[in-house]
Amino acid sequence: MNRLRWPSLAIGGLALFLVLSSSFLHAEEYTFDVSETEKKPYHLGGYAEFRPLLSGLDRDAALHKLRFYDRNEGRTLPEYNAALQLEGGYEKGIAELFVRGHAAYQDSYLGSKFTITAYEAFLAVRPAPFLTIGAGKQTLKWGTGSAWNPVAFVDRPKNPDEPELNLEGFVVVSADYIKSFQGPLKTISVTPVLIPVFAHINDDFGESDHLNAAGKVYFLLYDTDIDFLFLSGGSRTSRYGLDFSRNITTNLEVHGEYALITDFRQSLIASDGSTRETAADVSNWLLGLRYLTEKETTYILEYYRNGTGFTEQQMRDYFTFVHNAHDAYLSSGSDVLLNKAATVTEKSYGRPNAGQNYLYLRVSQKDPFDFLYWTPAVTAIVNADDKSCSIAPEISYRGITNLELRLRGTVLAGGRLSEFGEKQHNFRLEFLARFSF
Amino acid sequence: MRTLVLVLMLLGCALPASAIDGTELLRQIDRNLNPESYETYRKLINIEPDGRKKEFTLFTIKKGRDKVASLFIAPASEQGRSTLRLGDNMWFYIPNVGKPIRITSLQSVVGGVFNNADILQLDYGTEYTVEKLEEQGTEYLLHLKARTKTVAYDRIRIWAEKDRKLPTKIECLTEAGLLIKTLYFKDVKDFGAGVVRPAVIETDSPLYKGYKSVILVAKTKARDYKDEVFTLTFMPNLESLR
Repeated sequence: MNRLRWPSLAIGGLALFLVLSSSFLHAEEYTFDVSETEKKPYHLGGYAEFRPLLSGLDRDAALHKLRFYDRNEGRTLPEYNAALQLEGGYEKGIAELFVRGHAAYQDSYLGSKFTITAYEAFLAVRPAPFLTIGAGKQTLKWGTGSAWNPVAFVDRPKNPDEPELNLEGFVVVSADYIKSFQGPLKTISVTPVLIPVFAHINDDFGESDHLNAAGKVYFLLYDTDIDFLFLSGGSRTSRYGLDFSRNITTNLEVHGEYALITDFRQSLIASDGSTRETAADVSNWLLGLRYLTEKETTYILEYYRNGTGFTEQQMRDYFTFVHNAHDAYLSSGSDVLLNKAATVTEKSYGRPNAGQNYLYLRVSQKDPFDFLYWTPAVTAIVNADDKSCSIAPEISYRGITNLELRLRGTVLAGGRLSEFGEKQHNFRLEFLARFSF
Repeated sequence: MRTLVLVLMLLGCALPASAIDGTELLRQIDRNLNPESYETYRKLINIEPDGRKKEFTLFTIKKGRDKVASLFIAPASEQGRSTLRLGDNMWFYIPNVGKPIRITSLQSVVGGVFNNADILQLDYGTEYTVEKLEEQGTEYLLHLKARTKTVAYDRIRIWAEKDRKLPTKIECLTEAGLLIKTLYFKDVKDFGAGVVRPAVIETDSPLYKGYKSVILVAKTKARDYKDEVFTLTFMPNLESLR
């Protein structure tokens, strides 16, 4: 069944693409009806997307053994994802109510799964241009980095493979106070945030029964964006950070983030399965640049030091334990050790980029050879400790109003016991069609 | 004596052009195009050689010499995106991505012939100095040079009507005089409250052969905003100003 789906989906997608393209060949003369600019008190919008992907499995990899030890899925694994994101706002006077919901359907080797998540739902009041007060579920999106944001203390971690995806927020009360000046200091803005963590409210943020406080102070000083940030209150250990972004020249931007996380606790697993806890103050930081050439090639380069990650040896110990657990299963039929490995994987080792030192490079070319709206790009994420990497070439097309099409391949490379070498797949092919409305 | 008369005659012919201050003329052209602080709606249309179009509608506000912000209100895929310029600083905000990212005047957030400097344009007099002024029949021709390296085009040439002091054509050039794009100003309209200006700006570029871009202008009016709306922090809230 799965073998039949791919060709038919590809033909269907191509047919849809051609039909949509041809409908734009007979364009009308341009007009500007001012009624298009009339503002309504409410707005509705969102997108629908279809994202099938095909993974090539690495049957010798630790994570393949962990997830497929009791099943044989062959050499390739198809997966079908569909999502509908709806957002709506209603404005009355100085108040605005905003809701963004995300419904996702996934059909994979684990079966079908349907989830509905409220990404954001908040009330914002703007009594003056310099003051906004908001309450409800919001994403704050702190930090200047592209792939990682060590100072995003009140956000869920980004997926570096898809850093532009919407994220689910947390229930907070926040405010923005802005003051503008003449001279080298042009702007100051202050953003205090309260994050309640109780039963059924933000219970995945951290320890319950705490009212946490966070804040950000922003300066535009000598044409440099600078933020000072903090989080305190008990649900997570206290953390302090700063970030900056500045154009060195018109086509070269540099940015960076630094975060100090106090009393960071980490659970480590040895190759024999024994565990131990560590606690220490650690720092996460990032330095990056964005460079644009005259031919409109954009380079984004970032180095990320993840102090909360695992050393190369700790990752090797973890992968060795998974291999040992699989060997034990093969010899005894008992999956007790594999279940233990699955638990630590879900808790910490399995998160994206769990190592300590990373390089990120993305090169994209706008309108190559004057082909408008086509953007080829390649993204590489390298684990600088074990030298394993993920390389993802892609091409996207946005020439049809409200439709985005993207084809992306991902190749993982790395030796045994390395981060990308031990992923369950060693290549992935993904198609995305997203229609906004 | 004959020579003296000839010299005086030549000087007499040259007087009308030299009597006009190029900087003052440029200031008048800027003010005739837009009030110093204003709001406007613009539709940007990219037209491909086969006739296919892509349209963007923007709400734009400007204050003083160096503050401009634009909000995309259509199409749906771009809705909520905004750009901000504060002097030489430019940012682009995508609601999904979060914090506004720094961009440059050379980049293009819409693709095609338009770049960010076209979307977040300041007064010509803010970014350029007048090098030379010529008279060509019913038009003036101003030769302008960028004040700093951060400006999108090193040189521009403006042809402007003598009577209404409105531009009819602008050529954007590199330092070496290579033509990057040409803007044609058409369809002069009365927008009310003293704003009389071209409502259509057509653009072509030798760098994008066969492609054409059009800017349609509507509902331009003088309006003063607080400085605080031209800040990074306010970018997600620009819709509340409409």
